[in-house]
Amino acid sequence: MKNRIIGACLILGAMLVLLPAPAMSGQTAPSPAAGAPGLRYEIWVELDAAGKMLLGKEEIVWTNPTKDAVPDMLLHLYWNAFKNEDSVFLREALAETMFASGSSPEDGDWGWIDITDIRLADGSDLKPALAFVTPDGPETEGDQTVARVLFPTPVQPGESVHLRIEFRSKVPRTVARSGYYRDSFFIGQWFPKPGVYEEGRGWNCHAYHQNSEFFADFADFVVHITVPRGFVVGSSGKASETRVDESAATTTTTYRQAMVHDFAWMADPRYLKVEREFVADREVAPKEYEDTAALLGLPLDEVRLPDVKMILLIAPEHKGQIERHFRALRAALKYYGLWYGPYPYETVTMVDPPFRTGSGGMEYPTLFTAGTNALASRNVLSPEGVIVHEFGHGYWYGLAANNEFEAAWLDEGFNTYSTGRVLAAAYGAGSFSLNFKGWPLDWFLRIPKTFDFELNRVAAINTVRFDPVTAWSWEFYNRGSYGANVYMRAATLLSTLEGLLGEPAWPRIMRTYHMRYRYKHPTKADFIGVVNEIAGKDLTWFFDELLDATRAFDYGVAGLSSVKVPRQLRGIYDTAGTREEWTDKKIEETAAAKAPEGGNPETLYRTTVVLRRYGEACIGGDARVKVLVRFKDGTTETRNWDGQARWTRLEIVKPVEAESAQIDPEGVWLIDENLANNSRGVDGTRRNVVKLMSQLLFTVQCLLHFVGSWS
Amino acid sequence: MGIIKAIANGIGTTLRKPRLLIILYVVNAVFALVAAFPFLALIQEDLGHSLLGSFVQPVDLMWLGEAVLEHQDSLMALLAGLAAAALVYLVLHIFLNAGIVGRLLDREGRATLPVFSADCGRYFWRFVRLFLVALIFYVLTLGIFMSLVSALFKPLAESAVTEWLPLILSNIHFLIALLLLSIVHMVVDYARIAVVADEERKVLKALRHALTFLRKRFFRAWAIYLLIVVLTVAGTVVFYALLGLFGTPGVPQVVAGLVLMQIYVLFRIWVRTVFVAAQAEFYRSHPY
Repeated sequence: MKNRIIGACLILGAMLVLLPAPAMSGQTAPSPAAGAPGLRYEIWVELDAAGKMLLGKEEIVWTNPTKDAVPDMLLHLYWNAFKNEDSVFLREALAETMFASGSSPEDGDWGWIDITDIRLADGSDLKPALAFVTPDGPETEGDQTVARVLFPTPVQPGESVHLRIEFRSKVPRTVARSGYYRDSFFIGQWFPKPGVYEEGRGWNCHAYHQNSEFFADFADFVVHITVPRGFVVGSSGKASETRVDESAATTTTTYRQAMVHDFAWMADPRYLKVEREFVADREVAPKEYEDTAALLGLPLDEVRLPDVKMILLIAPEHKGQIERHFRALRAALKYYGLWYGPYPYETVTMVDPPFRTGSGGMEYPTLFTAGTNALASRNVLSPEGVIVHEFGHGYWYGLAANNEFEAAWLDEGFNTYSTGRVLAAAYGAGSFSLNFKGWPLDWFLRIPKTFDFELNRVAAINTVRFDPVTAWSWEFYNRGSYGANVYMRAATLLSTLEGLLGEPAWPRIMRTYHMRYRYKHPTKADFIGVVNEIAGKDLTWFFDELLDATRAFDYGVAGLSSVKVPRQLRGIYDTAGTREEWTDKKIEETAAAKAPEGGNPETLYRTTVVLRRYGEACIGGDARVKVLVRFKDGTTETRNWDGQARWTRLEIVKPVEAESAQIDPEGVWLIDENLANNSRGVDGTRRNVVKLMSQLLFTVQCLLHFVGSWS
Repeated sequence: MGIIKAIANGIGTTLRKPRLLIILYVVNAVFALVAAFPFLALIQEDLGHSLLGSFVQPVDLMWLGEAVLEHQDSLMALLAGLAAAALVYLVLHIFLNAGIVGRLLDREGRATLPVFSADCGRYFWRFVRLFLVALIFYVLTLGIFMSLVSALFKPLAESAVTEWLPLILSNIHFLIALLLLSIVHMVVDYARIAVVADEERKVLKALRHALTFLRKRFFRAWAIYLLIVVLTVAGTVVFYALLGLFGTPGVPQVVAGLVLMQIYVLFRIWVRTVFVAAQAEFYRSHPY
């Protein structure tokens, strides 16, 4: 009976271990065709290319989705960040200790946006009740990036308010993301845009900070863009109709897009516009669909990808790189689609950023900017990396629309992690990008190839002591810490989590999180919830220890020794009422007597491995530090340590000497900041170390020779 | 004398006096070993007993990243030490250079250590003064003249329609800087030769000798200089091509790589000596 119970327990235990992670539910998100429930924009904008001005009219219909009565609305007026040096953006830029040069516009290059008229649909003038506010800090007259407008009566739950706004803007010479150079314009964050109303908390509408991006509600957009004739326009959304006004020599195109939270466009008379189709069945083999469906535990139909129209606007001098751009975009559409969910919009527009508009490498819904050089090496995955990354933001930020002001890591970290995976899947490792005077150095030198996760880790381990990954964007120590933490450290932590949870749990977590929070505003708690749910265990400690804290993670092998175990310890022993002294001679004689005939007595070795927790961070839950000890006869022993104490000592007695000891042999803990101390061998210096040393000596010799040549 | 003959004679002279090369090589190697020792010790400490030592690459970003973090407190001191070592080496090389030029100009003379040392001592302070004067020329060339070139290019670059114009201008700027630098370097080389060949104690006079000499035969002298630069570049390309053949890390490959690197250092030292010897031949064939 007892044996049966034990057997049943073993079978049950084995089933728990072997059964796949829970298949996912709730995988369907609303389609964009359904439209945004609470927000609609219609905007008419005209570009005055000569005067570098925008003239616009905007209608906003906002429906109160909460149970609060809302007395006001906070509107982003982002371009006022470039109006004067007293704006929050430029004050932060000028105080920046890293990457600060050129942050402030030259005289005459300022940009701004004025609301010239704002009314309700019934004609009530709201302009007198319009005031600038600084929600993130002390009042400063200079910052006009957030305006508050008071309604005559609060908007009740479920009620709608219809605003009619007129605005004029001066396009800045580029400071960040938007601007002009000669006849090239990149227009982003350009129209008055409401913040996000959060029940019980009011409007979430931050000033435009240097180290932050954006946050807005999903909406349906209809935008009519008027530009001088001959200008090539690229825009978020899908072009529906174009009108030419011969007398004014302008062209007006209407773009529509439902269920997006921002809208950007560009105009340049020199640009080439190229269109291609992403034909899903050509890009994804049936086997890939089957494997993905099996991995994710989803029906085949749910992983199938739709066809998408790809539009590229590219500078003529980069014409030779057109196919390179499309190849990268196809890879991104394929892998993001397979892993996280099908791309839901009909179009994606990729813009080679106009020269000197500083608009490269930026994401907007259904449109993103890439970035390349006239001399671009094939070995360096750029522009590919930028294309994959910025397209990927269509998923992380575009669809799973976290608040970039308050939790930038939720899009930048997720997307940096995803970018690396897509590049690895589509291209393999790429050469590190090094240029001299515009020339890619890999044309002349052998530059090492690396995967993104390797570079991410280098930044990640060097930034942990500055800030937690989860800090608000403008509260980081400096721009370097912001970038390294929210992009690289967050990505490295996701890679670590991937290693820790493995397949199929990890891919299912990512898929579930994305699809569940598509068209929503997820938070850290939402992600942790999905992780714990799919992994089937509480991993909150991982986030507390490694994302919210600034603790270095470093476990290592501090010592390894393998010594002969004495057959008998020397000294005087009282045995069975008699006192006996064991001397070296006696011990040897006794051993010889016991040895098999003609052979030597068996020698035992005590292998001692000392493990240390050098960092402050601790593993938690059921995670363990795995130790693999290799012996000279090829055998191995594995031990686990809970990693809580600062150190531990493990002992193994075997008739063979140890060769090496290694913690984390599978390389799960990518976040470990010292991989060199993760292992220790009993042998001396390794040949690659000699090679490294000889290279270093050679480099110093060449350096000294160079110095000497000036004498 | 033609430029090819000057180079050929220069090569002949250096090959007849291999001791000079050995002295320079030994000094370079010993000094490099001392300067690099703290870094070598760090590598041994970090990787000597680690299994990572079996996989680490000469440019291993993963390891470099953690090494920088691990040794961040001592890194500045180490780099400052390296810079100080380079400075000391510069002074030492001025001393050795005096002996090299002295021995190369004495074509038939022997290159024994006592004679070499005597030349080092005899010309050292003159070479130091010449080095300091040369610094002024380098500053004038790179600082003032190149700033003027930059100022000339700036309006063009700022009005560019595409990235091509700034790219081309930047490369032209760099090329001009290199060519100017080569000219100044060459003038200083000839001034050193004039110090020894003409037994000139005043370095400004030696500089004038060099300029007068070059005024009449500038392009031929420059051609000698540039040809030897081409020789250096060709040797470097061959070296890296050969080094690339030792891809798989095994003990023989590591040893072969080490030997090849030392041969290359010796090659660079030899080429630098050929520079001086060829220029000395050319100078002597056209007496001042």
